[in-house]
Amino acid sequence: MTTALEQAIQLVLSGDDQLVNIISVTLQMSIPSSVISLLLGVPLGVLLAFCSFRGKEVLVILNRTLMGLPPVVCGLLCYMLFSGVGPFRHFRLMYTIPLMVIAQVILITPIVIGNMESFAQRITPAVRETAHGLGLGRGRIFLLLISETRYQVFSTYLLGFARSIAEVGAVSMVGGAIAYKTNVMTTAIMNYTNRGDFTLGVALGIILLAMSLVLNLTVSLIQGRLSR
Amino acid sequence: MTIAPFRKSYAGATALDFPGAPLPAGQTCAVIGANGSGKSTLAKVTAGVTACGQPQVLSPPVSVGYLPQHSYPFQMTVRANLMLNAPRRNDPARQRADMLLERLEIAHLSEQKAHHLSGGETARMVLARLLMRRYDLLILDEPTAAMDIRSTALTEQLVADYQAETGCGVLWITHSLKQAVRIADTVLFLCRGRLAEAGPAERLLTAPQTSELRQFLDFYGV
Amino acid sequence: MKHNKLTALLLALAMVLALAACSNNQGQTQQSPSASPETSEPMETPAETPAEGVDLTILFEQDDDMLNTYSLLAVNPDAPFVDADGNAVSDVYVNTEGAAALINWMLSQEALDLAGNYGYEEYGEYLFYVLDDAPVSTAEIPAATEDTAVIRMSTTTSVNDSGLLGYLLPFFEEEYGYTVDVTSAGTGAAIANATYGNADLILVHSKSQEESFVADGYSYVLDGFEAERLPFLYNYFVLCGPSDDPAGVRDAATVKNAFALIAEGEYPFVSRGDASGTHTKEISLWPEELGITTEADSVADYAGWYNYSNAGMGVCLTMAEEMHAYILSDKATYLTFRANNGVME
Repeated sequence: MTTALEQAIQLVLSGDDQLVNIISVTLQMSIPSSVISLLLGVPLGVLLAFCSFRGKEVLVILNRTLMGLPPVVCGLLCYMLFSGVGPFRHFRLMYTIPLMVIAQVILITPIVIGNMESFAQRITPAVRETAHGLGLGRGRIFLLLISETRYQVFSTYLLGFARSIAEVGAVSMVGGAIAYKTNVMTTAIMNYTNRGDFTLGVALGIILLAMSLVLNLTVSLIQGRLSR
Repeated sequence: MTIAPFRKSYAGATALDFPGAPLPAGQTCAVIGANGSGKSTLAKVTAGVTACGQPQVLSPPVSVGYLPQHSYPFQMTVRANLMLNAPRRNDPARQRADMLLERLEIAHLSEQKAHHLSGGETARMVLARLLMRRYDLLILDEPTAAMDIRSTALTEQLVADYQAETGCGVLWITHSLKQAVRIADTVLFLCRGRLAEAGPAERLLTAPQTSELRQFLDFYGV
Repeated sequence: MKHNKLTALLLALAMVLALAACSNNQGQTQQSPSASPETSEPMETPAETPAEGVDLTILFEQDDDMLNTYSLLAVNPDAPFVDADGNAVSDVYVNTEGAAALINWMLSQEALDLAGNYGYEEYGEYLFYVLDDAPVSTAEIPAATEDTAVIRMSTTTSVNDSGLLGYLLPFFEEEYGYTVDVTSAGTGAAIANATYGNADLILVHSKSQEESFVADGYSYVLDGFEAERLPFLYNYFVLCGPSDDPAGVRDAATVKNAFALIAEGEYPFVSRGDASGTHTKEISLWPEELGITTEADSVADYAGWYNYSNAGMGVCLTMAEEMHAYILSDKATYLTFRANNGVME
């Protein structure tokens, strides 16, 4: 009896054309979306922790709400905006990887912001008091605070990347799961399941997990080396 | 230099009602008092890191170096922490960093990550970091609380030398009466958010005028 | 730090193993279905079940009421497109030349022959039949240009899952240099996708919905054809159920009688419940006095045996297999489902 695990290994070893394409599309979507979210979310999150102004609480609550934005709602929003009759139709992005990336950035950036904000606001008072006591200016204090959160950035990136490869609702809506073009691991698993082909679905799931495991190990090794 | 009168409250409760005090340049003023008497509040407000409704309590506005009670070791090497506060990244600054680390006996730690130091090592590192630059007034909030006797002596000597070199004033918060005797020209005694007694160190510690200070001295056995 | 890493590694390994174990169990459940409490009739014992394959069997087919006709419709570039607020949108992009090229090819004798023979080798049965009166095109098909190279086709899940397009389109793409982006959804959603300007042509199988698409002005008559709606293939829906057929639908005179038998005996039935073409067809087959419509509340009284699932065809077939229930399916998906379960052994 061929187990799903064996089939997964066979799939990988055979270098199946379609599987290679699915993995490649998955990475073409996940890496840009998680990196862009990180580049946007880290400064914004630290800035939110760093600044004190009227209405800050409202912004924090708003961001927490966006952290819980259901992917299908985000997908629907992007669909309405970018579809053939939507206001952004001229970009012609419907059913393309760039639109999948846009939808994921909308989903993941609030998570990065929230994560960085909650971490940064714990160390902000001490960093601010210390740096202010040395007579450093606001700009330098902000840069110092970003530098102090750099280890958190790794785990936040992992969170964002994990969310990105695991996401299916928004991606299937704006990507359309077009074979050899926008079909990613999750939508492929859904397709196989819909056809009643569970084994292939599980095999893809195992490959997805293995990818996540490799990335986690790599990042934790880098992190360990840096903090030593 | 003088500290203007101010009142600082947290969430409606008055933490410190301060009537003002002079801070002569070249002199050390020790602040003593029980926990919660308002010592750290005095340091923070004077340093300008905590607002109290007045734009400036220190006059004239001079450059202030403030060492908070829990000064934060930035996640970089000890040397990088010091260079962070150098006015310029040049050879004199590097030599000054070496000298300060040497004097506080942590030169061997200069390439270690600051957030991996012990409590006493951290306390010396953050002091060295502060002294990288020239200030008109040093405000030190219990800088030796985590140090052993030897490090405490090194610290007191280093601050005295810095003062002799720069002619700065020092506001030194301490919970140790013995330390106050060693370092202070004048003493401020805070009790329950008020300035209970102030004056030359000699007189305050030998002939207290108020019952609060008398009780305090009796209790700590000087 | 070290310990954390080790724990993480172990956890991940455990997850992978658990998944692999799950899939084994899955395979076993498929092989030897356990007795379902929902049927009153005595169930087959595993010993009687063939060791290979699934229990779900085609019990009734080839009734005119179960005819399933597939049509092609080109999207009209001058259709009255509106945005989400109902405001008219005039400059919607539609690749009309690409759509015309693809439709002309799909209706060429070459493509019709390919479609008509599709699946015979693999399943030993024909999945699609070419309509006798299908419009046949002999038009010259232009090669792709930079502007027309990508053709967006919106179709239904059942067409996509049957594998027909995956088999046909490469012939077209390789010969003429086009790329066909196929998106699939339930018939309703597939058509809506075109009205939102996200498709150049549609391939669907719901006559009433196609006719209203045409009536609303979303399609147009291509050069060389007589109508907007171009029916070209057909097959039959099939009524599937447990091989021991407790309701006895095998012997029913018509498919409507068969459905009446199921309802009478309250045998478990799995409905797509997603307003798809298959769902719409199923609704039309129940005795009228039951009052079953596509709305969920119309079947609230029958919840004991009528399962309104709101899922795709493959998922519903799996449910029917597990529950020993009856189900209406398009033939292609059922055969693919059965073949895939063969693979799982």
